[in-house]
Amino acid sequence: MQAESRAVGAPYEVVSPRRKVDLCFAESEADFYEASIMTRLWLRWLPAAAVPVVIAAGALGGSFQASAAEGLSTKTPEQVLAMVGMNTVKALSGTVEQTSDLGLPQLPPGVPSSSAGMASALDLLAAPHTARVYLDGTANARVQVMDQLAERDVIRHGNDVWTYNSKDNSATHETLPTARADGNNAPATTQLQTPDQLAQRMLAALDSSTAVTVGQDTSVAGRAAYELLLTPRSADSLVGSVSIAVDSQTGLTLSVAVQARGQETPAFRLAFTDLSLHAPSADLFTFTPPPGAHVTQRALPQQADRPLQGEPGRTGGNSGSAAAPHTVSGTGWDTVIGLPATAVPADLTASPLLAQAARAVDGGRLLSTSLVNVLLTNDGRVFAGSVPLARLQAAAAGR
Amino acid sequence: MTAEGHSAELAIETKGLTKRFGHQVAVNGIDLAVPRGAVFGFLGPNGSGKTTTIRVLLGLAAATSGQARVLGQEMPRSLREVLPRVGALIEGPAFYPFLSGAANLHRLDTADRDAPSRTRAARVHLALERVGLTQAAGKKVRAYSLGMKQRLGIANALLAPRELLVLDEPTNGLDPQGTREVRALVRLLAAEGTTVFVSSHLLAEVEQMCTHAAVMSAGRLVAQGTLDDLRRSGTSRVQIRTPDSAAAQRVLAGLGLMAEKSDQAATADGLVTAVLAVHTGTQEESQESRHAPKPETIVAALVAAGVRVRGFAVLGSSLEERFVALTGEGFDVAQ
Amino acid sequence: MLPSDGRPPSSGGAPGDRRVSGDRRATAGWATLGSNLVGSELLGSELKVLFGRRRTWAMLLALAAVPVLIAVVVRVSSAPGTPGRGPAFLDRVTQNGLFVGVTGLVVSIPLFLPLTVSVVAGDSIAGEGGLGTLRYLLVAPAGRVRLLLVKFAAALAFCVAATLAVAVPGAIVGVVLFPVGPVTLLSGDTIDVGASVLRLLLVAGYVTVSLVGLAAVGLFISTLTDVPVGSMAATIVLTVVSEVLDALPQVSWLHPWLFSHYWFGFADLLRQPVAWGSFGGNAWLQAGYVALFAALAYGRFASKDVLS
Repeated sequence: MQAESRAVGAPYEVVSPRRKVDLCFAESEADFYEASIMTRLWLRWLPAAAVPVVIAAGALGGSFQASAAEGLSTKTPEQVLAMVGMNTVKALSGTVEQTSDLGLPQLPPGVPSSSAGMASALDLLAAPHTARVYLDGTANARVQVMDQLAERDVIRHGNDVWTYNSKDNSATHETLPTARADGNNAPATTQLQTPDQLAQRMLAALDSSTAVTVGQDTSVAGRAAYELLLTPRSADSLVGSVSIAVDSQTGLTLSVAVQARGQETPAFRLAFTDLSLHAPSADLFTFTPPPGAHVTQRALPQQADRPLQGEPGRTGGNSGSAAAPHTVSGTGWDTVIGLPATAVPADLTASPLLAQAARAVDGGRLLSTSLVNVLLTNDGRVFAGSVPLARLQAAAAGR
Repeated sequence: MTAEGHSAELAIETKGLTKRFGHQVAVNGIDLAVPRGAVFGFLGPNGSGKTTTIRVLLGLAAATSGQARVLGQEMPRSLREVLPRVGALIEGPAFYPFLSGAANLHRLDTADRDAPSRTRAARVHLALERVGLTQAAGKKVRAYSLGMKQRLGIANALLAPRELLVLDEPTNGLDPQGTREVRALVRLLAAEGTTVFVSSHLLAEVEQMCTHAAVMSAGRLVAQGTLDDLRRSGTSRVQIRTPDSAAAQRVLAGLGLMAEKSDQAATADGLVTAVLAVHTGTQEESQESRHAPKPETIVAALVAAGVRVRGFAVLGSSLEERFVALTGEGFDVAQ
Repeated sequence: MLPSDGRPPSSGGAPGDRRVSGDRRATAGWATLGSNLVGSELLGSELKVLFGRRRTWAMLLALAAVPVLIAVVVRVSSAPGTPGRGPAFLDRVTQNGLFVGVTGLVVSIPLFLPLTVSVVAGDSIAGEGGLGTLRYLLVAPAGRVRLLLVKFAAALAFCVAATLAVAVPGAIVGVVLFPVGPVTLLSGDTIDVGASVLRLLLVAGYVTVSLVGLAAVGLFISTLTDVPVGSMAATIVLTVVSEVLDALPQVSWLHPWLFSHYWFGFADLLRQPVAWGSFGGNAWLQAGYVALFAALAYGRFASKDVLS
């Protein structure tokens, strides 16, 4: 039927120019046009394909630039260590980022931290943090821990040390004795340290249990740096290595990264992401508690390192109550610290978060991270160390 | 290109234009040729591919293969050049219901980057006037009747002086008066030299407005030409009213005409019909019809044979007959 | 402009045809290349349509109601807001009424603002398709790229309007109901009224920029369909997905690439000194989203068969 009506219809076409057109477009040309129509349509998607490539190239280029370091003169570990010791930086402003991958169970953000001290401690350890650090001379310092929609500040100006927490609009104030005002240029009550403070602390504890080498030159916060590698000689330690990036010009430590054994990403990293060696504005160090803030005047604590009330959870190696009688077994990287049941805070063992994070093992429960193992024995004692579980169990049984 | 030369005579020209949606072929290799100045009827049942063809011509859809030229320029390459000179009503009017009729036209006129803003208000006013919507210009389109929307759609097509108007079912939803107005408007525009391309599924509409027509069926172009050509083409028959139908058939056979069928042959007056000639509308083929006997010869032969001729007629084919023959009968949507 | 210089040199059109009236030709020249080619007139028309719609005003009013409601509730409840409870900055409101605007933005950024931007961006092309006006705009001819640009520009204008619809009424209501005084920043430092107005504007700017990526995503989704409700809903769903993913630490590698990642980063503008890091990060991220999704929208829309 179709063909028939076509046959009938075709002769009626009166338009004569058509025949000329026929000559113009040969069969192969028609194919060509079909192909070109499709090609033209597909070409329109080209930008959409190109943009991700450009973005990926930009991202890769950026990271390539970050890892590239200029040719630095070769230095021995002793020379680099000496640089750290002779660090001349007195004034800086910069941003410090702390990230960790401790293999802890991931906690959703927004877990109420004011109620559970444990959660706050875990949060500070596990969640990434960014802080801005301002230093000027020995007596002026400010650290701002930048939380989402909130901030915690520590400001030191001469002998005055203020803390401020924007969440509850509270401030504390204490006055340092003149004798302590020198020497330590960062606030004593910092929750987040600068890489330099952490490195000084680590290097101070260096002994024969650690091999010190110089790694490949690196670049941190846009500055060329030497990489100091601290490797535990003990085969038992959970710590694989500690790498410290030392600024090639000033000797300032730019980053500290702790590598756990058998883990690709650093278990803990503290690094400048942005650094300027100019003296920050002086206004930053003068702090007046805002109107309406709840201000606590604090008497000078006996122990400078003791955590402040309401600010539990501190990083660094000196957590725990210094007043508690504790046992120490092993040396260097294999040190195991034991706490008697009486010294363990009740809220720690009762914490539901701990119950969630710890798993049952022989003789108690184990809280395992990639850097530290903590054994809570059934009789309430706590053993912790950067060692495998067996060492903790041995320490627990050894008493 | 050699195409430039001849295509100046054609407002629309396609060559092997094909549009496929997946497996379905909506437009199947059509060769349209719309002469400039024509009022061109684009006939076909619903679903025969008329609107798809129009969409491809206006660059709304890309052809799967084939070529299209509008106003002598290749589409869709020269869309930006050509479209300002083309007014269109495509598959019914469509407007922002929350804007007034005039505001709708203002917006669509702004979309044409060649339209001068200086004279916009005047052009909108004129266009509304031409379709008799001046009174309703300030009314929200939400409150328009279907017919008013249709008029507004035509007004949109007339916003600027156009060389080509593409009107897809322009009288849809219009009352008889509105239909007449549209026809008059189309004739007027054609008289001004505008080429009008009217698609319709109604033959009568095309017959009353158009100088040329093309017939679509199931995605194919089955006929194309001037209306006279189309009308002349087809089959003419002789019809004889006689009680002696058997005798009449014999006489006709003697003249070389085959009687088709005779109703009520046994009863009183029968109707004997025979194909007189098949006209094809083109000159070469109309020669065939010369071999056919003249009507007076037939009558004389009948009378000589004693057939009681009570009625005699030569029936030309109607355009409708042609349309039905080409596109199939009934309300079935073509596949 | 003279008719003689009328043609843009790039147009390879047929020289043969001269039947177009001189009036039209004349305006097709360089003068229009400057103004109407980029679509300033069409943009004006687009904005008129967008902001002439009752729906747009309903959304803006709903947004404005957020800070007004907050301010009234805080004012009526006699007890001053307990620090640390309720939305951030709520307790700041009583110090400086201008901060009602900021509190309003804090409350609106996770849902209300993205919701309204999704509606406008998701409707941009699909809405025209749904009405059928898309085919008339295209044969006008609006030009597909030009139409896309105008639609995106209008969506951006709405981003600005939406942010201001929260910030400005918030600030006004705050000034009426509360004292205007020095305000405490997150760092504990206090700034005066003038500086706080500046910070409020900065925050509004930041929030606007934050919504730009979403607008681009909505525009792309809008080119995929002729059902505006579908593209609006899809855009909103994507927003929620982005925010949920951003809250899941398991996919932390993905976080910096989510368009909602920096939405709360405007807090960095309320520190002393201003931390510009998240502003820059946010701007780059949103620019990336705009580049990618504008390219996708172009790819789709420029090759699309308009059959609505």
